[in-house]
Amino acid sequence: MPTYHLSETELSSWVNAIMATQPVIGPVAKKSRFVFDRLEDSADLRLDYDTTILPPKKAFFPPKQDLLHFDASGVRGAIKPESKVLFGVHPYDIKAIHMLDVLFAEGHPDHAYLANREATTIIGSSVQNHYQHAFFGTASPSVPVQGHDAFLTKIPDGYTLDILSEKGRKLIEGQNFKPASAEQTAASEKVNEDAKANCPEKLTYTSEEIKAKLKASWDSPLWEEASQDCFSCGSCNTTCSTCYCFDVQDTWNIDQKSGKRYRRWDACMTTEFAEVSVQGGTENFRETKAARYRHRMMRKAAYLNDKLGGPACVGCGRCSGACTADIANPVNFIDKLMKS
Amino acid sequence: MTCSCATHTEKKDVGMPQEALVLEAKMMTATEKHFTLKLRDGSKFEYEPGQIVEAGLFGYGEIPLGLSSSPTQEDSFELVVRKVGKVSSALLKLEKGDSMYIRGPLGHGFPMEELRNSDVLIVAGGIGLCPTRSLIRYICDRREEFKKFTLFFGARSPKEQLFTDDLANWRCSMDVTYDETVDKGDDSWKGNVGVITTLFAKHPDLSPETKVIVCGPPIMYKFVIRELDKIGIPHENVFVDLERRMKCGMGKCGHCQINDKYTCKDGPVFRFSEIENLPEAI
Ligand code: SF4
Ligand code: SF4
Ligand code: FES
Repeated sequence: MPTYHLSETELSSWVNAIMATQPVIGPVAKKSRFVFDRLEDSADLRLDYDTTILPPKKAFFPPKQDLLHFDASGVRGAIKPESKVLFGVHPYDIKAIHMLDVLFAEGHPDHAYLANREATTIIGSSVQNHYQHAFFGTASPSVPVQGHDAFLTKIPDGYTLDILSEKGRKLIEGQNFKPASAEQTAASEKVNEDAKANCPEKLTYTSEEIKAKLKASWDSPLWEEASQDCFSCGSCNTTCSTCYCFDVQDTWNIDQKSGKRYRRWDACMTTEFAEVSVQGGTENFRETKAARYRHRMMRKAAYLNDKLGGPACVGCGRCSGACTADIANPVNFIDKLMKS
Repeated sequence: MTCSCATHTEKKDVGMPQEALVLEAKMMTATEKHFTLKLRDGSKFEYEPGQIVEAGLFGYGEIPLGLSSSPTQEDSFELVVRKVGKVSSALLKLEKGDSMYIRGPLGHGFPMEELRNSDVLIVAGGIGLCPTRSLIRYICDRREEFKKFTLFFGARSPKEQLFTDDLANWRCSMDVTYDETVDKGDDSWKGNVGVITTLFAKHPDLSPETKVIVCGPPIMYKFVIRELDKIGIPHENVFVDLERRMKCGMGKCGHCQINDKYTCKDGPVFRFSEIENLPEAI
């Protein structure tokens, strides 16, 4: 597939052209940080962002999503996919989105996710600034960055744009981008390699070593120790690029005759996550902070590896930054675990 | 456990609830109600013994329930709802002619291929009888396909015995060697008193080749397995039916997870040897 070269002006007129046909979700500033939001003005696009507060999965797996609508006449599916472009996704988040694609499609396919995802075109972008906790250069290295439709890399004299799919090609129809030169392509490859190498944090063990050690450490005192200060707030889950657990609830509309069934992000680190009602009370299958902390680490680095071809952590570092107790950082924990 | 039965290979959208008509609704105990249902659209509800459904009502939600009937029963299927929370309380109000909404069948049921042509022992405690009844009835309906069939049932007290009509049948049936116990008897109770494991001593003829199904409160498993070990039944031939909190029933939401397994998709029936080393299982 072709690679083009874009100047700063070509980029903004292209973004404007896309915005004229469909919604564009991209990184924009919010106070001192960044969020993925619907662009009102192409000038708001901040491709120099370090990372966003919430991962871009919310564009098609929103924190709250209707599944069914019901009323006296019956029940209908509530899936209403809207075509949109997700612009400026970093490589680690692209990887994470691909992981979610695999997980939502396998077995019983999750149509509510897949329909939204199908309607979304993803344009990646190179990391220009690192988030202080990023370690994507060493996280899940065996899983390729894949599933996106185009990729934009900032090089000294503008951008290179790789078109990677038919959906991506459609977005540049009518544009007169010049093909990138060999030097420009080489420069963009270097930019992306350097971004990985320059992550502020690093895992120094292989995925296999980590997985083996985790599996052998079920009864380790480290779980208890590491989770002591946990508030069970679930922030390390909700900010995670690859977390996808959800809860399903019903609610009535004001008329008390119609209503909806919706899902919302859930978090395995919260106390009630594995609780069941039993006669006379509740039973919790993961009662302690340590058991929940262990479950999260196992899901990130052991349980899903076979399905995904590597660990389910892409090294975005969001959990490390989101944790008030400062205990969620996978790099720190894995270092401790491996040395134990 | 993998399975290639028709129910699992066909792609039915189990995300969409189907409307089922309540044909009959009866309180079995103070807290358990027994429903007989059929799909409103007239189609047959296809499932395997041991599979589950998400049963619910719009505006309230859904709960996972094991099917209590056998698929050999042509024009209806049965579920038992135990009153524990908001959804089950709403379901308990349903009467004949009302609608219940179900999604399924979900998960992997009993290993029918392995049970055929084998001796089968079912050990059911309390409401563990509800999902195992689908298998008990299946075996009784297709008796010639199975060898020696033994059923142990334990309840806390005679009043808490479920499916009393079935129990009366099984007591005098030639199809099944049935034995029962209660933890605590009452004035009218003439049978065995004691935990379910006390029944094993009365059946010394159980062979080490027996395929065993265990379903009951978590505490029961450890003690039953100990008895099976004494007989010399390998853990590969023991199957347990587990319960977890479930939401999606489709292997996505994470609520039913036991280590790296999903109760709703890989279970609810698991081969004991495959889960005995999973610390979160039992
Ligand atoms: S590890 Fe940190 S972010 Fe995660 S639940 Fe505990 S306190 Fe919250
Ligand atoms: S576990 Fe932390 S670093 Fe890994 S993907 Fe999730 S939020 Fe990012
Ligand atoms: S109930 Fe959602 S994963 Fe099993």
